Amino acid sequence: MEETRRTITHYERELQEIKQNLLYLGALTEKAIENVTASLLERKSDVARQVIEGDAEIDRLDTDIEEQCIRLLALRQPIARDLRFITTAIKINGHLERIGDMAVNIAERVLALNEEPQLKPYIDLPRMAEIAREMIRGSLDAFVREDCQLANSIRRKDAEIDTLNEQIFRELLTFMLEDARTIHRALLIMQVSKNLERIADHAKGIADMVVYMVTGINVRHQWPGETPDDVCDTKRQQP
Amino acid sequence: MHGKLFLKIFGSYLVIAAIAIGVVGFLVGNQIREKLDRQIEAELFAYARIVELAPVREVAQRAEEIARITLARVTVIDRDGTVIAETDRDALAIGSHFDRPEIQEARVRGKGTAVRYSQTVGEEMKYVALPIRKGDQIAGYIRLARPLVEVRRSVEAFTGILLRSFLVILALSVAAALFFSRRLTAPIREMERFTERLRRGEAPGTLLIRTPDEIGLLAENINYIVEELQKRIDALQEEKAKVEAAFSSAMDGVLLLGIDGKIETLNQGMRSLIGERYGEIAGKTPLEAFRNLDLQKALDQHRASGRPVSQEIVFGEEPPHVFDVAISGVRGVSGSEGKTLLVFHDVTRLKKLERMRVDFVANVTHEIKTPLTAILGFVETLQEGAIEDRETARKFLGTIARHAERLNRLVEDLLTISNIELGEMRFCFESVALSGIVQSVMHILHVKAQEKRIDLAAEIPDGLPPIRADRDRLSQILINVLDNAVKFTPEGGRVRLSAAAAGDEVLLRIADTGIGVPRDEIGRLGERFYRVDKTRSRELGGTGLGLSIVKHLMAAHRGRLEIESQLGRGTTVSLYFPVFRDASS
Repeated sequence: MEETRRTITHYERELQEIKQNLLYLGALTEKAIENVTASLLERKSDVARQVIEGDAEIDRLDTDIEEQCIRLLALRQPIARDLRFITTAIKINGHLERIGDMAVNIAERVLALNEEPQLKPYIDLPRMAEIAREMIRGSLDAFVREDCQLANSIRRKDAEIDTLNEQIFRELLTFMLEDARTIHRALLIMQVSKNLERIADHAKGIADMVVYMVTGINVRHQWPGETPDDVCDTKRQQP
Repeated sequence: MHGKLFLKIFGSYLVIAAIAIGVVGFLVGNQIREKLDRQIEAELFAYARIVELAPVREVAQRAEEIARITLARVTVIDRDGTVIAETDRDALAIGSHFDRPEIQEARVRGKGTAVRYSQTVGEEMKYVALPIRKGDQIAGYIRLARPLVEVRRSVEAFTGILLRSFLVILALSVAAALFFSRRLTAPIREMERFTERLRRGEAPGTLLIRTPDEIGLLAENINYIVEELQKRIDALQEEKAKVEAAFSSAMDGVLLLGIDGKIETLNQGMRSLIGERYGEIAGKTPLEAFRNLDLQKALDQHRASGRPVSQEIVFGEEPPHVFDVAISGVRGVSGSEGKTLLVFHDVTRLKKLERMRVDFVANVTHEIKTPLTAILGFVETLQEGAIEDRETARKFLGTIARHAERLNRLVEDLLTISNIELGEMRFCFESVALSGIVQSVMHILHVKAQEKRIDLAAEIPDGLPPIRADRDRLSQILINVLDNAVKFTPEGGRVRLSAAAAGDEVLLRIADTGIGVPRDEIGRLGERFYRVDKTRSRELGGTGLGLSIVKHLMAAHRGRLEIESQLGRGTTVSLYFPVFRDASS
């Protein structure tokens, strides 16, 4: 009796540790995006360099979490809810790590952009970065609270980002057509925009996994508009 | 409880009574039996001795007679054991009696006794035998026998008495047991009720049992313990109330993390500091609750070093909150060992003020430096020979004077603001009629307006109530606002000053057809050195302090300032002044 209880708490502690590490990773990536946005808008190259250096920690944590998850899967053979939690954790871990890489991509473009005078005042980019961060934060909030509704509302925000990305693309196209000297900078900005759009996609991926974790329903390959509104009310099914 | 104790007492009485009666019955019964036995034996012997004096033949002949007198069965046996006479006819058939123990005993020892159960009588019989002598020879034996029914009856009667008295004792002991168990249990039940109230947490009062025995002592002890307990509980509660009061009413946020790292308790201050943004945070880890990287790093640092950590941490974004978070381990408090205490002190306002101060210094420096640079530049040029050229020199000196004037204005404005802020500006509030003041102000600005061909006019209706104001400051307010209006209105524009009564206030409205202010910048207009269009304003000779001064002065007048503006269309400044009320009315 005593023995069993000890084992269970130990197991639960391991699950808890994975969650904590995942949230820490989430906080790191959120911070990376915050910093990289600041470095772009305020033209601070040293902040961009910090982001690039900080990715090592994100990568290390990513490896740690993956190892923890695999060890738990192998040694404890979790079932049902726990199994779904661990598979979700592995997926979210992957998404977060990729978000970190994209922050680095943006930081590199920012360093190049800061070498040249500002092409134009940024209006849509900060908005994009803001939405992307909101999506990451919201999807992680949903993960912590196991809040399917929140996750579903985060998934819908992806469309906003896509619109902004297209808008930036068209705008920069006119710049390039008018003046060939702007092409280099415009391309860099486009890459920044594209990376932000990809970050939002990953945030949506996290939200998808939260919906899956809570309901057992796979919504990954659906457009957010396709997902029925009552997906969260659906009775939990075993995967 | 009551029944059990009763049974115990009753049982013990019963056992004692039974033992006593048993012992008495046994001893006294024996005594009675022996005494009667001996009496019968002696009587029979006495008869036998008398009979023994006669010769055997005579005895045998007169056996019936002897039996009648002695009330006994008489048997006469000759020397060989042959029965010569027998009064019990049923026993006649019996042959030799020589082997009977009483006869043997009589032959050997001169007299013999025996007790035997007689089949014929169906009763225990006492046999007494004596030899009948003829000279030295034993000629035969005389045996007298009497049933022991008397003895049995006596013993039975005695036992009957004992049994009856036992019943009486039984009844008495029931009564006594009831009485004593009542007496014993009453205080115990009282104590039981008392402790029950205590257990339920009601105020138990005091036990009122004043008996000098052990129970009384016990009650006294219980009273003492309860009193001590109550004192301690009161002391603890008071202590707890103090801590609670400090904990819950502190403005600072306090979080207590359990050993598992989850938020155990948070105070009201914490709840109001973080608001609804994070939902319910109790039971979560700080990482789950806030997902704040800096906080987590500070916590990790504290865990690694074991030392208190204090750090400024920014929470949230719109608007960001800056907290000075102090993290320390709980030590020396039993039950809370190993927990972590986080104290959040909101320094957002402090940070903002600090920022404003830094900005202010930077702004002032910048504002002073611009005219100074110009002055120094022109002075240098003059020194290098330009002074020789009269015409140029005059032009330069004019420029220097203009910049010096601007410096002077700036310093004056700064002084005004700092005086208001330090509370050193003296106001002389009195009843002021608007028309007079407006006229003089219009006069001052008239020239400037004419230069720009601006249509400047005031429309003050008659019968406006006087306002409560300081004359000089009021004209300063009006000059500043009108000056701005004229400054930012292009040539050929219009500036209007109108007034109207509005309840307890008088509204002065200055409307222009100027360049206007973007909507989201209206709120910042009163800030020191805030300019919508920096270069333009400076060209126009502004210090960037005009509206700031107006704002301060309006506050000192207990009035209000409202600004509406449309970009490119014009700006309307509304000044609300309180109506003058005579203290006596």
